[in-house]
Amino acid sequence: MIELFYRRQALFLGTLSMIGIVVLWQIAVDGGFINPFFISTPSQVWAEFIVQFEDGQVAANVSATLYCFAWSMGLATVAGILLGMLAGWFPDVEAALEPFIWFKYSAPTVAFYPLFVAWLGYGTPTIIAIAFLFALTPIYANTLSGIKNTDRDLAKAARSFGAKPFDIFLRVALPGSVPVMMAGLRLGVGRALTGVVVAELFGANAGLGYAITYYGQLMQTAKMMVSIVIVILLGVILTQILSFMESKTDSWRVDSGR
Amino acid sequence: MAQIEIRDLGIDYRKPKSNEVFSAVDGVALSIERGEFVTIVGSSGCGKSTLLMAVAGLVNLSRGSIRIDSKEVIGPGPDRAVVFQEASLLPWRSVRGNVKFGLEMQRWNGGDLNERAMQMIRLVGLGRFSDYHPHQLSGGMRQRVNIARALAVDPEVLLMDEPFGALDAQTREIMGTELLRIWERDKKTALFVTHDIDEAIFLADKIVVMGRNPGHIKEVIKVDLPRPRDEAVLDSEDFNNLRRRLRAHLAEDMSSMQLVQEVA
Repeated sequence: MIELFYRRQALFLGTLSMIGIVVLWQIAVDGGFINPFFISTPSQVWAEFIVQFEDGQVAANVSATLYCFAWSMGLATVAGILLGMLAGWFPDVEAALEPFIWFKYSAPTVAFYPLFVAWLGYGTPTIIAIAFLFALTPIYANTLSGIKNTDRDLAKAARSFGAKPFDIFLRVALPGSVPVMMAGLRLGVGRALTGVVVAELFGANAGLGYAITYYGQLMQTAKMMVSIVIVILLGVILTQILSFMESKTDSWRVDSGR
Repeated sequence: MAQIEIRDLGIDYRKPKSNEVFSAVDGVALSIERGEFVTIVGSSGCGKSTLLMAVAGLVNLSRGSIRIDSKEVIGPGPDRAVVFQEASLLPWRSVRGNVKFGLEMQRWNGGDLNERAMQMIRLVGLGRFSDYHPHQLSGGMRQRVNIARALAVDPEVLLMDEPFGALDAQTREIMGTELLRIWERDKKTALFVTHDIDEAIFLADKIVVMGRNPGHIKEVIKVDLPRPRDEAVLDSEDFNNLRRRLRAHLAEDMSSMQLVQEVA
């Protein structure tokens, strides 16, 4: 009961501060404190949104971005979980993959952008490849740690009933890793979206990232802000969906502070 | 011949850092008859759990042999089932799912798994809780599930590794009585590790007292208290005598341990 109250209060305060910022933003520009050229105003952005929505730009950009997102996230999910399971179960595989992971953590993935352009050309395939690399790491790393940190007591109990290694993998390691894997997917979703938008900034002819650079180069701040706000909303919605799925899968965890 | 024959058993471990070899158990010989309830007591580090795990087939022997029904133990087998300490239930499975787990691992084909599991769940008094998950249960209830899981596979020998060690004193007593009630039904051979003296006496036909450095058997004490037993037996004269005897054993172990610490 009290917990619910606090959750509601947190939601209320969060919403309040968001509204506060939007109102302040509008007042600051209307009052002449800030040049609208730099940040536009909420009312102008809204007006531009209606225009872009009606002429179909919003739908075109969102669908182009979501198309690349879906492919990159899908591929990263399959590859990340498969590699993570192999590396988590076989220490040799983990050791063999280790340098690439260091690489991924320490070097910015965007640095490979020109290379991908050389291989795949400008456009969709390159965007998908970049976003795939963005999303791969957390999915792989979480799956790996989930499998690797399989509860020894549970594995021992399974062995006492005659479980073979594959039984332990399938019935103990894998189900026990699902919540950590879901957390990896949640992080991966945010990163895949970032990857798509960043790649679109450089070379695309559609998509939200493309719209942001396009209007940015034309100095049309309000038009540009429309796509920025949409990207933020998409990110929040996708991450929330994954958070929800995550909370469904780890209800059995005693320490899932939800 | 006895059902379980342990001969000249030795189990060595290599210390991970120094690579030094030390014996957890050495020179252990023990015979257990079919249908006997045997408890193993000793202070921590006396190798009592190691001994039990060896019978379960979960640790490798360095010397000697363990035979069950004249068959050499080389690994886990369907003739044995282990009741572990807390936290050995799969947290994502319901009570029923957990009780089915052992049956699934053994590819049990003695009929409907659900039916078998429910039978065992009712036996341990958790009929209403079959759809609960472990985190929704108390420690005592979780150990009932643990017992049901082991009994479900219908083992010849029931091995229990301090199953009530994490429970409070009162729950522990209740669980002991419950365990005896269940055991009385078909009197399967039982091997029960504990560090609780009262528990060791209350349950046992035979108490194995172990000492340390390396783990060895100090004495095997026969318990002739009448069965079926209930809490009343705890106040009897015979029980008190046994308690005194065991205490003396463990106190001796404790003082030698302190001496070692003082010298070191």
